[in-house]
Amino acid sequence: MDKIQVLLALSVALFAVGLLGVVIRRNMLVMLMCMELMLNGVNLSLVTFSHQLGSTVGAVLVFLIFVVATAEIAIAIPIVLMLVRQKHTLDINTFTNLKG
Amino acid sequence: MKHVLTLIVVLPLVGFLLNGFLATRFGGNRVGKGFVTVTACGLPIVSFLLAVACLVRLQEAGYQPLIETAYTWAVIGGKSFEISFYFDRLTAVMTLIVTGVGSLIHIYSAGYMKDDESYARYFAYLNLFLFFMLMLVLGRSLLVLFVGWEGVGLASYLLIGFWFEDPEKAAAGKKAFIVNRIGDAGFLLGMFLLYQTLGTLDMDRINAAFNVATLPAVSASLVGILLFIGATGKSAQIPLYVWLPDAMAGPTPVSALIHAATMVTAGVYLIARLSGIYLHAPGASALVAGIGAATAFFAATIALVQTDIKKVLAYSTVSQLGLMFVALGVGAYGVAVFHVYTHAFFKACLFLGAGSVIHALSGEQDIMKMGGLAKKIPVTFATFAIATAAIAGIPPLAGFFSKDEILWFSFASARGGSTFLWLVASAASLMTSFYMFRLLWLTFFGASRMSHDVAHHVHESPLSMTGVLGVLAALSAIGGFFALPHFLEPMLPLPDVVPALHHCEKTLIGIAVVLAFAGLAAAAYLYGGGARRATTLRERFPLAHGLLLGKYFIDEVYDFLISRPLLWLSERVFLRLGDRVLLDGTLNGLAAWAQRTAGSLGRIQTGNLQLYAFLALAGVVVALVWTWAHV
Amino acid sequence: MIENLLQHLDTLLLYVFAACALLSAVLMLVLRQPMRVAMALISTMVFLGGIYGLLGVHFIAAFQVLIYVGAVMVFMVYVIMLLEVRESAGTGRFSTLVIPGTIATILFVGALGYGVWHGYPALIKAAAGARFGIAQFSISFLTEYWLHFELTSVLLVVAVVAALAVIKVSRRAHG
Repeated sequence: MDKIQVLLALSVALFAVGLLGVVIRRNMLVMLMCMELMLNGVNLSLVTFSHQLGSTVGAVLVFLIFVVATAEIAIAIPIVLMLVRQKHTLDINTFTNLKG
Repeated sequence: MKHVLTLIVVLPLVGFLLNGFLATRFGGNRVGKGFVTVTACGLPIVSFLLAVACLVRLQEAGYQPLIETAYTWAVIGGKSFEISFYFDRLTAVMTLIVTGVGSLIHIYSAGYMKDDESYARYFAYLNLFLFFMLMLVLGRSLLVLFVGWEGVGLASYLLIGFWFEDPEKAAAGKKAFIVNRIGDAGFLLGMFLLYQTLGTLDMDRINAAFNVATLPAVSASLVGILLFIGATGKSAQIPLYVWLPDAMAGPTPVSALIHAATMVTAGVYLIARLSGIYLHAPGASALVAGIGAATAFFAATIALVQTDIKKVLAYSTVSQLGLMFVALGVGAYGVAVFHVYTHAFFKACLFLGAGSVIHALSGEQDIMKMGGLAKKIPVTFATFAIATAAIAGIPPLAGFFSKDEILWFSFASARGGSTFLWLVASAASLMTSFYMFRLLWLTFFGASRMSHDVAHHVHESPLSMTGVLGVLAALSAIGGFFALPHFLEPMLPLPDVVPALHHCEKTLIGIAVVLAFAGLAAAAYLYGGGARRATTLRERFPLAHGLLLGKYFIDEVYDFLISRPLLWLSERVFLRLGDRVLLDGTLNGLAAWAQRTAGSLGRIQTGNLQLYAFLALAGVVVALVWTWAHV
Repeated sequence: MIENLLQHLDTLLLYVFAACALLSAVLMLVLRQPMRVAMALISTMVFLGGIYGLLGVHFIAAFQVLIYVGAVMVFMVYVIMLLEVRESAGTGRFSTLVIPGTIATILFVGALGYGVWHGYPALIKAAAGARFGIAQFSISFLTEYWLHFELTSVLLVVAVVAALAVIKVSRRAHG
């Protein structure tokens, strides 16, 4: 197994673990962190392809993903804060307003 | 003038449009009764004069038919259907009758309907009727004839139900239209057969196609029977005559024009026009003659006991039409048209006379409540008496000539004449004479049976009505001297007479005259002097009297056998089962099923985010597996 | 043997870093306390940074540590510290979808791996690509992908506006 294969397998694994974490864990903050893990997995695959092909596309995309992830966290955290202020718990199962 | 035939047809239509759209409440009552009278009566008179001019032109052209194409209706495939008009001897006779008697009845209506509030609508409909009737008689192809055929049915419906606020009168109008439509189904099938085999619907071409050595590949008898079914509807023969007595609900001039002189003769005209087919269809001709004779006899028996003056005349019309069909059935087409011509005069005179009586008695129609009117309304009496004598067949009035020819040919024609047919027709004539004189006696003679108020107000009708009565009575008297069958002979030849029977002609004439006077004598005997003998006779045969008075209960039989099952079918099968259960059930069922499915699918939306994420993951897995299994 | 090792040091390090990153990621799933989960994520990110460095894109590695660890995860840790006291002790770690989720994830990985392996072998073959440095990266970033750059700045503006709105709403809701 050479480098590229290992890295791609790792990226798939990281993404899958992150997705599993979103489905499994109850704590909202842990869910957010698992989403960050998914993004990292994707970043890894992009960097790998960029390295493989020698083009800068992947690196540019990774940079832009950094920016977007940061902005996303900057908004998601306050949302979580406001939700917590309402129900005083971080358990995701208490928030069922989307029902129906 | 190039389009004179089209002009004849279109002038009454102009009258309809003007009166209908300007003078009625629909149009805003822009013009008054005077305008209506002038246009509605004037335009048919102009049509009549133009028809006379056309006859002169026809004579000059050596009786070559005048043909005019007004408009190309449609071009379908390679065939073009045109509205074209055709004028030959037969058409000339019919057109002159329709416009002449029609104009007279328009003038009469001006007096009769003077106080009616829907005066303009009446004349609009009457003009519409005249337009369609002229289209019927002047049309060259069966298609144009059929347009006129349906149109006069429509006009008849509108006029029978003229006083539509009364539900009975509206129902009578509906009955006329619906029964006519049943006949029209046969007519249409006949037309389809003709078009399919001959490729044309022009009547002159159809006749020519049947006049060659090798006949077309269609059974002439079948076509003849189908077209005759249409004629039974329009001309009130068995089994589709039931609308005509009910049609008396309309105004009396309408009964005179439509149900005596013109519309009901459309069936006779159709068969006479298509004589080419019937000459080669002995089976159909026998059917025509048989049904004609049966109808003549049957209707005459009913008329013997009716007490409504208009109903007696209605059944008399049915009976006389039966005689016309007897003539058609034995091949004497010209004689049948001759009887149409004389019948138009005396029947219109009778109906208008009845209208005059009703007008004089302020609406009374029961003859048992009349009597002794001879001196009070002398002009009406005189014209009514002349017309009664004409229909009874008393020489030398018009009815004698035409009826006598019919009886002669029903006996002696080589194309289906028989003694039995002659006996039935003669019995019908005897009864005709009897019940018409019965009507005359009960209405005009004897002591007055009127209520005091009515008797006080009896007055003679105005000149517009009595003048027309006079003209028609005069025509009933002298009209028979014009030998119409010989005028029509070049195109409608008289049938050959069985040689052995040639010598019977004088005898038969004598028998016919004797029968006419016998009817007169019997009526005078039974109904003269207080009608005591008639009452005794009635009490001796109550069952027969009840059967005849109830018109053999045919309407009730039709209702039981046909209307009720149809209603049951419509309600039970089509409405409840078909419409509610099947259609509504399917639609509502589909909707309910969609709702249930949506409801059960909606339970996925628990509001739990992790479930959504899991479902997305599962979906992606399925999509991946499926894609990579099928790529 | 040491020479052998040193020759293939970068490959060896790559494998080590990869294993550690995966281990940290799995640890994220099983640790109970959120702070420890954050620590696991930070370690994953650092190992990933190391991998980027080994691949030659040092600037990306630097950005990974600076932005991801230095900004995002620090923010995350602050919030965990803030909300630590609100956490009720009784609730379990896992939701009701543990088993179905695990099965689905295994199937997902299996399908993805199988599909890529057999369908697109070209994807995973090593190719010698030209190495590029930060100069080349910057040039292409600001010339060829300038539109993406501008759009991302718009996104940042939107994020700022959204944050302001959130503050306003929360202020209105709680005086």
